[in-house]
Amino acid sequence: MARPIPATDVLLNLFGAPHQSDLVTSALRLATALLDRGARVQIWTCGDATGLTSAALGDTKPRDLTDLERRHPSTALIVRDLLADHPDRLYWYVCRFCADDRGAADQIPQVSKRSPFLFAEHVKAADKALVMGVC
Amino acid sequence: MTDHLLIESGGPQTGPACERFVGDAVRLAGDGHRVVLFLVENGVTAALPGAAPGIETFLRDGGEVWVDTFSAAQRALPAADLAADVRMVEMDDVAAKLLEPQVRAVWH
Repeated sequence: MARPIPATDVLLNLFGAPHQSDLVTSALRLATALLDRGARVQIWTCGDATGLTSAALGDTKPRDLTDLERRHPSTALIVRDLLADHPDRLYWYVCRFCADDRGAADQIPQVSKRSPFLFAEHVKAADKALVMGVC
Repeated sequence: MTDHLLIESGGPQTGPACERFVGDAVRLAGDGHRVVLFLVENGVTAALPGAAPGIETFLRDGGEVWVDTFSAAQRALPAADLAADVRMVEMDDVAAKLLEPQVRAVWH
């Protein structure tokens, strides 16, 4: 039985290479601003962006050898905290094909892996959609 | 008449794509649509005087240019160095615009 796709105000599609530019920062800033205004948001990651929520990342980035005492959160932890803060208004989806293809099949449990064939249904469930990072 | 939010993240240094996207904004504004061109990430460099000639035409035709305060600060671009008629904004302003029902948005 197909899992329901919750209706949202905005769908942010992260299609671009996540660390080539400020894409992830911008997406998280925009998502946070939308959530702060009470909006319902879904994020769909494709390609290398599926690695943002890979379970292999753990909670922290590798230690900065110039500042050993400081701990920097991984993107997986940032996404997990954001989802925990907005349990009924933020949804994070990961393209199953892209994740599997990149060895990132093991994702944090708070996100949902979806077949790319469902992508159009997610677009339909959102009032507006932005494709970020590919053109 | 439709409201548009066009978001430019690349800037003039990415080649003709930025120029064409600003050109879309110019044409929409010239046709009488309400258009906001939001510059973010490296796109903020398009707000430097003379960096993207289409910006001046766009402003003259009634378009609004918004510049992301955070992105400009990251690139050490104070508002005083940018074109006179641009508006420095926070992401909250963009979220508010995006959530207006009549607004169509494109991220480039």
